Amino acid sequence: MTSRRDFFKAAALTGGAVAAASVSKVAMSALPEPVLQTSPDTMPPLVPNTGRPYNPVVTLNGWTLPWRMNQGVKEFHLVAEPVLREMAPGMTAHLWGYNGQSPGPTIEVVEGDRVRIFVTNKLPEHTSVHWHGQRLPNGMDGVTGLNQPGIPAGKTFVYEFEARRPGTFMYHPHADEMVQMAMGMMGFWVTHPKNKHPLISDVDRDYCFLLNAYDIDPGAYTPKIMTMLDFNLWTWNSRLFPGISPLVARKNDRVRLRVGNLTMTNHPIHIHGHEFEVTGTDGGPTPKAGRWPEVTVDIAVGQMRQMEFIASEEGDWAFHCHKSHHTMNAMGHDVPTMIGVDHRGMTKKITKLIPDYMVMGERGMADMSEMQMPLPDNTLPMMTGEGPFGSVEMGGMFSMLKVRKDQKPGDYSDPGWYKHPEGTIAYEFTGELAKPARSSGAGQPSMKLAQKQQPHIELKVRKPTGHAGH
Amino acid sequence: MNTAPAVQKTSIALAVLLLAGCATVNINESIEQTNQELNGFTKGQLSLVQTDAQRQAMAAKASDILKEPLSQPAAVELMLTHSPQFQTVLAESWAQAALAAQGGRIHNPVFAFERLRIRDELELGRLLSFGLLDLLSFPARQGIARTQIDRAQLQLTGNVVDQVTQVRQAWVDAVAAQQAHTYAQQVFESAQTSAELARRMQEVGNFTRLQRARQHSFYADAAVNLAATRHKATSSREALVRMLGLSSEQAAQLKLPERLPDLPEAPKAPSEVAKRGEDRLDVRMAKQGFEASVKSQGLGNIASFLDIEAGVRYDTDFENDTGERSNKKGYEIELALPIFDWGGMKRDAMNANTLAAANRLEATLRNAQSTLRESYSAYRTTYDIARHYRDEILPLKQTIADENLLRYNGMFIGVFELLADSRDQVNTVVQAINAQADFWRADAALQATVVGKPMTVSVSGAAANAGGNAGGGH
Ligand SMILES: [Cu+2]
Repeated sequence: MTSRRDFFKAAALTGGAVAAASVSKVAMSALPEPVLQTSPDTMPPLVPNTGRPYNPVVTLNGWTLPWRMNQGVKEFHLVAEPVLREMAPGMTAHLWGYNGQSPGPTIEVVEGDRVRIFVTNKLPEHTSVHWHGQRLPNGMDGVTGLNQPGIPAGKTFVYEFEARRPGTFMYHPHADEMVQMAMGMMGFWVTHPKNKHPLISDVDRDYCFLLNAYDIDPGAYTPKIMTMLDFNLWTWNSRLFPGISPLVARKNDRVRLRVGNLTMTNHPIHIHGHEFEVTGTDGGPTPKAGRWPEVTVDIAVGQMRQMEFIASEEGDWAFHCHKSHHTMNAMGHDVPTMIGVDHRGMTKKITKLIPDYMVMGERGMADMSEMQMPLPDNTLPMMTGEGPFGSVEMGGMFSMLKVRKDQKPGDYSDPGWYKHPEGTIAYEFTGELAKPARSSGAGQPSMKLAQKQQPHIELKVRKPTGHAGH
Repeated sequence: MNTAPAVQKTSIALAVLLLAGCATVNINESIEQTNQELNGFTKGQLSLVQTDAQRQAMAAKASDILKEPLSQPAAVELMLTHSPQFQTVLAESWAQAALAAQGGRIHNPVFAFERLRIRDELELGRLLSFGLLDLLSFPARQGIARTQIDRAQLQLTGNVVDQVTQVRQAWVDAVAAQQAHTYAQQVFESAQTSAELARRMQEVGNFTRLQRARQHSFYADAAVNLAATRHKATSSREALVRMLGLSSEQAAQLKLPERLPDLPEAPKAPSEVAKRGEDRLDVRMAKQGFEASVKSQGLGNIASFLDIEAGVRYDTDFENDTGERSNKKGYEIELALPIFDWGGMKRDAMNANTLAAANRLEATLRNAQSTLRESYSAYRTTYDIARHYRDEILPLKQTIADENLLRYNGMFIGVFELLADSRDQVNTVVQAINAQADFWRADAALQATVVGKPMTVSVSGAAANAGGNAGGGH
């Protein structure tokens, strides 16, 4: 009885979570009430009030699934269903997910917990759940056809196993996998250590998110499920910058980042102003001797990485994937390069044919973030997000690490823009420019070309200044 | 002695009869009648220019009309009053009517004079003879002549309808061709811009020679298309100039409106065009033909049997020895004996002609409704297609253009795709113009068909996927 009340209490904690009224109470009488979440905001950590205690994680633009204790077993209820996901203000995608969201809620348990997960399928086709990285009975591994029949549409299956080792895991379907993952079905799983673990430190902030990618035509809402590599939306937890929450820390907090990659390419995740160590992978905690400081960690397809660092430097630090296309938002990959192309006389001609035409790309693409031009519906501009000094010229897999000395412990709210101490911002040099000395002999080839391919060309320097006429 | 006055009386009576029964032709009345018959079609603007003063007035009017861009009604007016070619039609019709009237007159009487000398006798023979049948059949022939004059009148009306319809269609052709040329110019400019931009792209190293060549080939193709449409604009304009009978100076003044008139709000209802039937030109012409056949058959029946010449004779004999002179008076009847030709073939031909005319009338009556239905179908189909272009296809293309611009704004597509798309859109506009021109041609044809001059127009269905693959850079 108490567990049920606790369950609702937990549900209330997640802020805006509601019990699904559409599921028949009778049919669900033996199941934990499914909890839905429709807000795209980052929810505060779900502090456990039943079961073993642990230090909860914060899911970036996501939430943790409440549970109920049933005779010592932690019971969760996942509902696989079509969802609407706001990917950033101004763009909503029609995805498939769990309990109202894509990705689904994070499941947090403690090493040694007996876990029972009810999975109700409200998709139009069968599904299954694979518990990526976990040690469990073979029949619970969730591969359709191999370990179990698919969960038919409208049915509920039960998975039950012990969370045997602590670490960072994922869950995703292993049925019509290409489609269901392209549609956004995935979620995070964290198993906290039961006791103090020599390789797992206590941290002040523990963030987790999944890397995912979508291909949604500008103006459309549903991802193209056949796309293999040419995705146009690179997201963290199905959110795009500037719609991704910042990661907030109090100065000198120990911060852990847990990142899983469920896209079809690797992502070099890069942090500014700090170095981190990879303290764990899908395989478990990394031995201390195998840790080294880095500012970028490449996360391969299907992998998890756990990084830790001390947030010792105050400021608003960029945190992003280092593949620059992944920080752009939707764009055309076949658009020709216009840099340096003389447009004199052309613009007038084109506007005669296409009255609202504007020249773009002649000086590069930064124009994009300066011009406010109408775009197709449900489309985010390529490089946006206003910072205190103008456009951040980023999109997609980009966020910020915001370190403040006065951020309260447990406070995850955005502290606003960093106020730079006097004299700590790059400034314009206004003095006289001296002519740089250049060595005439520098840069000779170490081996001579047997055959000259081209006559020597005087290099034409393209001045990055615009010219009149547009 | 008392026979002379009798002959005189007869002669006077004949002369009076001749004068009274004269069928005459007044071309101006005839034109007026055509104007009335075609009221709403020619707007009463028909007139035959005969005098210098009229000619000057017409020239002044023409130069007035040519000051403004020439609308379709103005083109009709200009042709009716100004075109020498059209005045030829009027004059020829006059000639035809006059000839017909001629057929309604009595042949001139023949006066024969003989001077014969036998020994000392001198005989002077005088014979005034005239075809008796000619005289007897006079009322009938007069009737026939009137029918033929009426027929010439109808013929004139028909010719006017023909010419007006032709000028209307020539006007539509010329305006549409000029409009198509304007748009071909836009396609050309788009291709030219692409080619120039591609040249500059290659120049700075952003494009390969292949990419540039592709853009340049659109430009090269567009140039051919532009030249062809330019000629078509010229040739259809010149066709109109000829219809209007403009001099070179006038042709230089001729300005065409930039675009075809908008489609009417709603098409004419079938009931609006179907109400006329009996008074259609073709039906009336067939009726006239039939009546003329019947009348000439009545006459022919007599004429085929007999050919009677009647004459009044007044001879004088002089006897030299006696110096006596004596007069002989009398009359003479000449009769062709129907021994070899009883006129049967002639009558057969008459019968056959009447039968043919009767059948022609029947066929015309039946065809009248059928051609009207066909013409209306062409009118309605072209209207629907043109409206479909206006309400469906062009807005769709506009949406595509708008969305493509948005995609360009978002850098999802490049400027070359945008320009290729603009070429696509323009090609659709050209198709829409063609559809509109088809409608106005069908409209002119329907107007002609309604008054009874059946015309068919081809319905092209426009689209014919033209321009669908003009795109580049996709
Ligand atoms: Cu990436």
